[in-house]
Amino acid sequence: MKEVLRFDNVSMRYHSKQGETVAVEDLSFSVHEGEFVAIIGPSGCGKTTLLSLAAGLLTPTAGKVVSSGISFGYMLQKDELFPWRTIEKNIFLPLEIKKTNTPEARARAIALAEKYGLKQFLKNYPSSLSGGMRQRAALIRTLAVDPDMLLLDEPFSALDYQTRLNVCDDVYKIIREEKKTALLITHDISEAISVADKVLTLSRRPARVVAEHELSFPESEPLKRRENKEFSKWFEILWRELNV
Amino acid sequence: MKKQTNYSPAHLLYLKKYRRKNILINVCRISILLVLVGFWELAAQLEWVNPFITSSPSRICKTIGELYENDTLFYHVGTTLEETLLGFLIAVVSGYLIALGLWWSEAARKVIEPYLVVLNALPKIALGPLIIIWCGTGSEAIVFMTVLIGLIIAIMNMLNGFMATDANKLLLLKSMGASKLQILTKLVVPSSLPAFISMLKINVGMAWIGSIMGEYIVSKAGIGYLIVYGGQVFKLDLVMSAVVILCVLAAIMYAIVALIEKLVIKNDR
Repeated sequence: MKEVLRFDNVSMRYHSKQGETVAVEDLSFSVHEGEFVAIIGPSGCGKTTLLSLAAGLLTPTAGKVVSSGISFGYMLQKDELFPWRTIEKNIFLPLEIKKTNTPEARARAIALAEKYGLKQFLKNYPSSLSGGMRQRAALIRTLAVDPDMLLLDEPFSALDYQTRLNVCDDVYKIIREEKKTALLITHDISEAISVADKVLTLSRRPARVVAEHELSFPESEPLKRRENKEFSKWFEILWRELNV
Repeated sequence: MKKQTNYSPAHLLYLKKYRRKNILINVCRISILLVLVGFWELAAQLEWVNPFITSSPSRICKTIGELYENDTLFYHVGTTLEETLLGFLIAVVSGYLIALGLWWSEAARKVIEPYLVVLNALPKIALGPLIIIWCGTGSEAIVFMTVLIGLIIAIMNMLNGFMATDANKLLLLKSMGASKLQILTKLVVPSSLPAFISMLKINVGMAWIGSIMGEYIVSKAGIGYLIVYGGQVFKLDLVMSAVVILCVLAAIMYAIVALIEKLVIKNDR
């Protein structure tokens, strides 16, 4: 498997009048093509910084972030659909930004939306959709420009528990079916176990990698994984690591 | 969402009550006006008060009729309307553009901020004598006054609207690689539309204050002129008539802005 993203001893410091904050220190890990990597850590440990570093929105103060010329798609906690645009227009947004708003690209995006059950909502405004459907639309928007890798910043945390499990399952299947590499950041241990091939646990701020685990479940769907005996075993291991 | 048409009896009852309540509110609104006007007229007719000082609805109607008959009504209304609209447009458009510039450049924003605060606190009427000397005694002086009063508020309101853009939506666009111009056109301008509408509403009021105040200082025609003139020659009927005309015009202008709001902001946010 090809390595697509690598953090080499990455550190990140923020400066403000009150002082400086070390958000991330000496962080190293890598993501390979087709992998679903989850990073878990205590809240406020600099997880969002990490994604911004991966996407190249921030430059590390020390160390290197190496990505092999891949494109990223970002998914945030809330769907962040623009309320003044229809679902269809929301999905076209990245095409407009990247100036690839050709009829072919639009047709591709529409086909993707229809494939994943958004056909009847294309002309609707986001306010008329349920939370789960909105998050699905946000995923299709991310996929519209066909990114090589998805960066997921706690994409389910704004949803209620019931919806979260369903949407998580949903998003996982879509990402797998579209054969995307994904890096998920979350504080939800069970969410990480239910989707990832590889889980990294981070320490409190400044964030360092505490441990790295390869998960192998016979099942691939998140909801089925949750029923596996291994699941609670992994939960305990990760729980301990987070609480050191 | 589809509209349901076969309602339950309970819902029909609710709708009926709702409609009744609305009608009641409208009836109350209109009757307050009628009672006040009626009482005013009665008090003046029976000379409980001196109609020379308080005027009366019938005298106001008569005065407006006279203004209409000697062809000066529309002259005065037109003059003030033109000054108000011109001042309103200049203040709104330049306020919007200046706010855009300040949004664009953080450095400019920080440098300009104390000036904005001081200029906002300054009573613009204090500049009256200067305006007469700079702009002369024509309509220009009044338009200038209107712009002065509206501009700073327009800038501050719009800048607040632009700065209130959702940080996560900004992050989303940046992650897509959007340029600053794209962020402006795709996100900042559309998401600040409600702020723009509320700025328009505030500036309708400001424009009337500006034009009437301008006419107080220097004018040969207009509604503000009628008020000042009426006060000086003790024709309080004229003052009252001018105020009534002003009320009607301000209400119409506000209704137009409210209509624009309805047309522009269709989808609920």
